[in-house]
Amino acid sequence: MSAPHPVPHTSRLPLLWVCSVSATALVLHAFEVPAWITLTGLGLIAWRLAGLLGAMPLPGGIVRVTLGLALVAAVFAQFHTLNGLVPGTAMLMLMVAIKLLETRSQRDQYVVIGGALFLLLAACLYTQALVWVPLYGLQALLCCAALAVVAYAPGSDARRSPLPPGPGTRTVIALAGRSLLFAIPLAIPLFLFFPRLPGHFWALTSGAEAVSGLGDTLTPGSITSLTTSYAVAFRVRFDGSPPPPVERYWRGPVLHEFDGTTWKAGRYTTPNAQRLDCLSAPYRYHLYLQPTFRHWWLALDTVMGSPGPGVRYTYDYQLIADQPVSQSLSYDATSCTHVHSLVPLSFAARLDDTQLPQGQNPRTLALALQLRRRAGSDIAFVQAALAFLRGGGFTYSLTPPPLGPDPVDDFLFDTRTGFCGHYASAFVDMMRAGGVPARVVTGYLGGELNPYDGMLTVRQSDAHAWAEVWLADYGWTRVDPTAVVAPERLYRGILDLLPGGVSDPERLLHTLPWLNTALQRWDALNGWWNVRVVGFNYRSQLNLLSALGFHSPELRDAGWVFAATLLAWLAWVSWQIGRQQRAPPPDRLGQAYSRLCRKLARTGLPRAPHHGPLAYAQFIVRYRPDLSPHVAPLLAQYASLRFGPPSDSTPTQDVRSFERAVSRLSIRRPPAKRRLG
Amino acid sequence: MAVVAKLRERLRNSAAEWARRRQGADILPLTLARRRLYILPTRAGMAFGALVLTMLIAALNYANSLALLLAFLLAGFALVAMHECHRNLLGLSLLEAAAPPLFAGSTGTLRLTLRNASRLARYRVEIALPDEREAPLDLTSGGRGEVELSLRAHKRGLQRIDRLRISSSHPFGLFRVWTWVHASIVVIVYPRPAGSLPLPSDSGISAGSRPRGAGGADEWFGLRPFRDGDSPRQVAWKAYAREAPLLVKEYSTAGSPLRLLSLEAARQPDIESRLAQLARWIVDAEAGGDLYGLELPGALIPAHRGPDHRHRCLMALALYGSADSAVSAAGTP
Repeated sequence: MSAPHPVPHTSRLPLLWVCSVSATALVLHAFEVPAWITLTGLGLIAWRLAGLLGAMPLPGGIVRVTLGLALVAAVFAQFHTLNGLVPGTAMLMLMVAIKLLETRSQRDQYVVIGGALFLLLAACLYTQALVWVPLYGLQALLCCAALAVVAYAPGSDARRSPLPPGPGTRTVIALAGRSLLFAIPLAIPLFLFFPRLPGHFWALTSGAEAVSGLGDTLTPGSITSLTTSYAVAFRVRFDGSPPPPVERYWRGPVLHEFDGTTWKAGRYTTPNAQRLDCLSAPYRYHLYLQPTFRHWWLALDTVMGSPGPGVRYTYDYQLIADQPVSQSLSYDATSCTHVHSLVPLSFAARLDDTQLPQGQNPRTLALALQLRRRAGSDIAFVQAALAFLRGGGFTYSLTPPPLGPDPVDDFLFDTRTGFCGHYASAFVDMMRAGGVPARVVTGYLGGELNPYDGMLTVRQSDAHAWAEVWLADYGWTRVDPTAVVAPERLYRGILDLLPGGVSDPERLLHTLPWLNTALQRWDALNGWWNVRVVGFNYRSQLNLLSALGFHSPELRDAGWVFAATLLAWLAWVSWQIGRQQRAPPPDRLGQAYSRLCRKLARTGLPRAPHHGPLAYAQFIVRYRPDLSPHVAPLLAQYASLRFGPPSDSTPTQDVRSFERAVSRLSIRRPPAKRRLG
Repeated sequence: MAVVAKLRERLRNSAAEWARRRQGADILPLTLARRRLYILPTRAGMAFGALVLTMLIAALNYANSLALLLAFLLAGFALVAMHECHRNLLGLSLLEAAAPPLFAGSTGTLRLTLRNASRLARYRVEIALPDEREAPLDLTSGGRGEVELSLRAHKRGLQRIDRLRISSSHPFGLFRVWTWVHASIVVIVYPRPAGSLPLPSDSGISAGSRPRGAGGADEWFGLRPFRDGDSPRQVAWKAYAREAPLLVKEYSTAGSPLRLLSLEAARQPDIESRLAQLARWIVDAEAGGDLYGLELPGALIPAHRGPDHRHRCLMALALYGSADSAVSAAGTP
């Protein structure tokens, strides 16, 4: 088995196609799985190609099985499971590549194409972002074309009679493309009307890693460079006007536990029992959240309640869903930017939010105690701490130097350079040291109004961290220490004033206005895609049905519309394809001739297939001599028009006169006596 | 496995029988109409269906819109593929089927002519005899194509090809469309030439059919009606001038023997062996340029030579003793 069989040239083409569709299938997942998996898969495909060209022997059965088991073990070692979307995808990628190594027969090739299609499905499950859709479409086209190429393969049987060439590569791609194009008018109504399920068959496994800029921990010292992804985190449509830019604080994870270097969310998911008083008009909005694979749902500053079942509203105003956000979703919410707590802070909560690790960051502790002693009240202490940050020569930078074992001390007294996480962390540490309950809130600050769809776009690069302190007369109060150091942080537009405070893509955007416009358009398109296509669900389907005039629509109605569209589409496709199948229509002369022949056939003398016009004339004259003066010249005229030399007058005139003569011809019924047998 | 194979065989045969009853006998030329085309998914097609179904379930479960769109797109694609496959045979014309006579036990060819009147090319149309391998062909738009099927002759007589299968799994191999053609295609099978007896000598020939005056140059042998292909120089123009039909003068080659072949002369144990011996003699005599005649019970073919004569003689042998002998005179290769 180790020596390659001589491969006839004709069977190379299908294998080349199969290799290329599996390679593209692997590349589609390159950003999702560890690099070694993609590279191993591509290496195996290259091995198969080398084997095809005779440059390298293909592995035998034992080698293949060993290799397969080794790769399964490697994937398991990587993920500690084979279950879940990413490990499963990684397994499938490697298995397709190994299957390719033993691919000889047509059946094997079909199996590999099936694997490539399944990898395409996995890619759809992984991300539905609009930017990938053209690539998915291209891959579907390649797979379908590969099906055709494999179908024309000579197969494993060498004794078959020599094959005709079959369609060329261009024809094959055209065939596959046309078939997919014809399928689109079916896919869209099916998508709209195929009965959806309100729930799941089985629970989702959260396989994918977090992709959001937000984590459930914050370690200011260890981050020396904040990656500023320009991806959209979420988009918001406000019922009225949106809050002013300085009020656009979007709450994500709230962090309570501090071990001296790292902030953690803690286990505090106590339901909210506080009564709140809104000090400003509440904002009503609809938020379209991108998948984060985390449990948090984002909301403007202080949200007033849970937006839906399965989402807990905690005492620190977080929204925590039971299921991670693996698909883009949207919800209605109401928020206030200034609130007043009507219930005092519980003892347990006060204890949690004043907790600090023993013996760490001593200089900060000393500073805080000194400031608190000097200040008369908690509010004055907050002011004093902010004044310290304002006057202490602090610099905002996205690339701060690393910090040592007492990171807050290092930051406050030595480096004095950092971004929001550093300031929030240090400020909360100071507050707690001074006995004021405080917590770190992470989330986003900002949001740009898109003029094309009127939505507020919040990006991953808007990720922010700030602080909340408990003040006895007000309740939890938002304090943003970063705003003190870099007030420009509140207005993204002037960020480029800070040399170290802006990333390259942002700088580019601010220097090229047309690029910014294009980005906004793209955001609007993406928003449409996410809301109308990706977010189309059971409820949207029912809404669509009511819009179509169904009263109290249910699943069955969707089924009816679905069946009706399917039938209509089948009729359309059958007509479309049948149209191409028919013979090309005859020209005007030919049409007139067939009209003449039909007229003559009514006399009981139909033209036989072997009759030319002149022979037909003889035939008619023989049995119906009475018709001879009318019919014979007509048939002769046709013969001369069709086969004779070009006449003096223009051809169209001749054809018209022939047409008129045919129309004028009237044929009497045959005399009864002379009926033909 | 053997049971499954047998079951499939029986199923296939009964389906073909049902189709024959449903369609009736066919007359060439034949254009394949909608009602006689049958279509089913292939194994690859069923696997594709299972794949799409799995995709659909996964997409519904994960409420993933893009995966759902993909599943529907591929489902639509499969349905379009079904129509494309059906189209590949619909309206195809089988113009004629011809098979030259052949000897029992040998392999000949059945030549089929097809025409594609439609605007699109047809690819990989496969034609097969029952239980035989398919012969594929491509047809360009408005084009004609010929395909040759190898044909095995088992026993002498008229071999009827009662069933042809025209099929295609164009373009993606997901579906297979087929039809059965039940045209009456008849192949003449001569007896297998066998036997080692020497050709009967002149002595056994009755005097009546013997041209007189053997020896010398070409001798006057007789007149026979004109046939296509005869040389004008051989035509008896004088007789034609007297308003007789066109006749051709025949000469016997000087010295060529004249043999009358009969069942009695072929001394073999049984009738089939005798016919085989006669066939061997006819082939040899024709190859040797001899004049030969054939006498069978109820039929006498006067001595002559040439391909037509050889065919008449061999056909008489082929049909000897069968109910088909009535048509024997009509058959030409």
